Amino acid sequence: MLTLVKDDPKKLSESFETKGYDGYVVIPAHIMVDKTPGNISVKSNRTLGAIPEVQSKLNNIWNDIKYEELGIDMQKRETLTGSHLNVSAENLKDKNSDGTFAMIIGYAAGFLVYFILLIYGSQVMMGVMEEKTNRIAEVMVSSVKPFQLMLGKIVGIALVALTQFLLWIAFVFIIFNVSKAAVEANPSMGEMVANAQKVFGSVNMGLLLTLFAFYFLSGFFFYSSIYAAVGSAVNEDVREAQSLSFPITLIIIFAIFMLTIAMKDPTSPVAVWTSIIPFTSPIVMMARVAYGVPGTVPYWQLGLSMALLVASFLFMVWFAGKIYRTGILMYGKKPTWKEMIKWALRK
Amino acid sequence: MPLLEVKNLKKYFATQKAVDDISLSIEQGQIFGLLGPNGAGKTTLIRMITGIFYPDSGSIIFDGKPFDPANDIAKIGYMPEERGLYKKMKIGEQTLYLAQLKGLGKKEATEKIKQWFARFEMESWWNKKVEDLSKGMQQKLQFVTTVLHNPKLVILDEPFSGLDPVNSNLIKDEIFNLAKNGSTIIFSTHRMEQVEEICDHIVLVNRGQKILDGTVGQVKQDFKEDLYKIAFTENSVALEDNEVFSIKGATGNSIIVQKRDGRDNNEMLQYLLSKGILIESFNEILPSLNDIFIRQVEGTPLARRFQEID
Repeated sequence: MLTLVKDDPKKLSESFETKGYDGYVVIPAHIMVDKTPGNISVKSNRTLGAIPEVQSKLNNIWNDIKYEELGIDMQKRETLTGSHLNVSAENLKDKNSDGTFAMIIGYAAGFLVYFILLIYGSQVMMGVMEEKTNRIAEVMVSSVKPFQLMLGKIVGIALVALTQFLLWIAFVFIIFNVSKAAVEANPSMGEMVANAQKVFGSVNMGLLLTLFAFYFLSGFFFYSSIYAAVGSAVNEDVREAQSLSFPITLIIIFAIFMLTIAMKDPTSPVAVWTSIIPFTSPIVMMARVAYGVPGTVPYWQLGLSMALLVASFLFMVWFAGKIYRTGILMYGKKPTWKEMIKWALRK
Repeated sequence: MPLLEVKNLKKYFATQKAVDDISLSIEQGQIFGLLGPNGAGKTTLIRMITGIFYPDSGSIIFDGKPFDPANDIAKIGYMPEERGLYKKMKIGEQTLYLAQLKGLGKKEATEKIKQWFARFEMESWWNKKVEDLSKGMQQKLQFVTTVLHNPKLVILDEPFSGLDPVNSNLIKDEIFNLAKNGSTIIFSTHRMEQVEEICDHIVLVNRGQKILDGTVGQVKQDFKEDLYKIAFTENSVALEDNEVFSIKGATGNSIIVQKRDGRDNNEMLQYLLSKGILIESFNEILPSLNDIFIRQVEGTPLARRFQEID
């Protein structure tokens, strides 16, 4: 809050704190004479954070002075400031698309995939490590192939993830129905629901959910098989696992960074390419498709992204399986990524 | 017909010839001892027999046909040295799960588990978790999961480690039982006294190669040094080296002698009788497997060096 105080600046510099002020601004007297404001500084004994607010308050006062000077009264001022142009976006290819809503859906879907990859991916890693440190791995591989054991772990945890999501969907569905009953009793909320329904209608939810299931599962298979390979290579030590899985985690975090870029401009080259490259596509493509298919994302991009992701998750599962096969029975020193790749390339 | 025949099996790792041209043959119903110091290649050999590793070269004939891991592992029960179970899983469920992995139906498996649990007095364990068990109890459970599906070939790697004498005997009796009922058993250990007790046939492996192969009796005969222990009814019998035997040691009223080459036991006894000595006992001292093991392995470096493989 600004308070007008008439005092000698020198005296004020000593007494402003005892009077209970955080700082003070000196308005030089000549400002009203020559009308050149120049720079005014806020003096304080601390570093103040509220400078922009002080500036806008003082400028409001300064504006009032200038308006008065030019002879513009309140009425004229209101006609000046009261009229604005409103700008909204319209997608010519897809009349129903709503940019704001697409952005929310895109962010939500991208982040959801991100969390799934990180949380359930590291669950796969911990599970594999448990099998190794419990020394059940060798018992198991005398009954099943190491590849089957690894795939079983990945599929099992994917099913856990799906089950948890279905529970969430059921939960949302119940909330939706309960609130619908509440809305019918209360007409003022009807408008809100109508708005929400219009917005939901603007996005192809069926396609979005299908793509979500696809990217979530493929991305999960892609990343969790790498996590499984890491889990098979390390020993009890969680720190070893963390240091070895750090590059993977970094790539996933990079993908979420790319997501924020893609959200600003979903058709920029960065957005297009990161939504096609398998390392980032599960997260970035999910964000882009919310803007509309084929409006924002042409079919060829979606098709290429999906095909590449499937091909690379198949490759990655196979590749990780080879590392896993050696790692799961190997105790001792933590291998480097280079050694692990050597295991994978060996016949 | 042997149940398992291994021919010229080789498995080289990046820095070691883990198994370097090993051949062996195991008859059905045999209890076969696979011996060797640490790092000799036993585990690698076993892993090839259980289909965990593919051999670099050589062949495995199982039950008269070339070994086909996909089908044949259901006929094998393997208890590795590095063993464990899912700690958080209930014992009954876990045993059932492992049995089903070996191809047993649920009903059949449940029945068999109940039989085995009854035999080992483990019925009350069904709903307990593995982590609630002591190490010895886990070991017993592990043994049950290994033999539950009635495998033709049972491979036990150090089955007695961590077991008290009572439970050791229990497992030992079960091993004899399995062999009696036609199962073939490969028993890997470096505890030689157990081998002498249990095994019919042994193979000694060192540095990836087979250095001994034979029945326990045969191996002992091969390594005997013609030593005899003779006890007398009276103390201090004056005997000296002679043309039949030499004296290796004396304690109280007994002596240890070594028979000279080309002599036989009767000649020794005749010599003693001719001296008018009253013999209380006359025994041949056969070397223990432990002695043979140490003698065979001694002199080779304890830890295998890493070597270049071309």
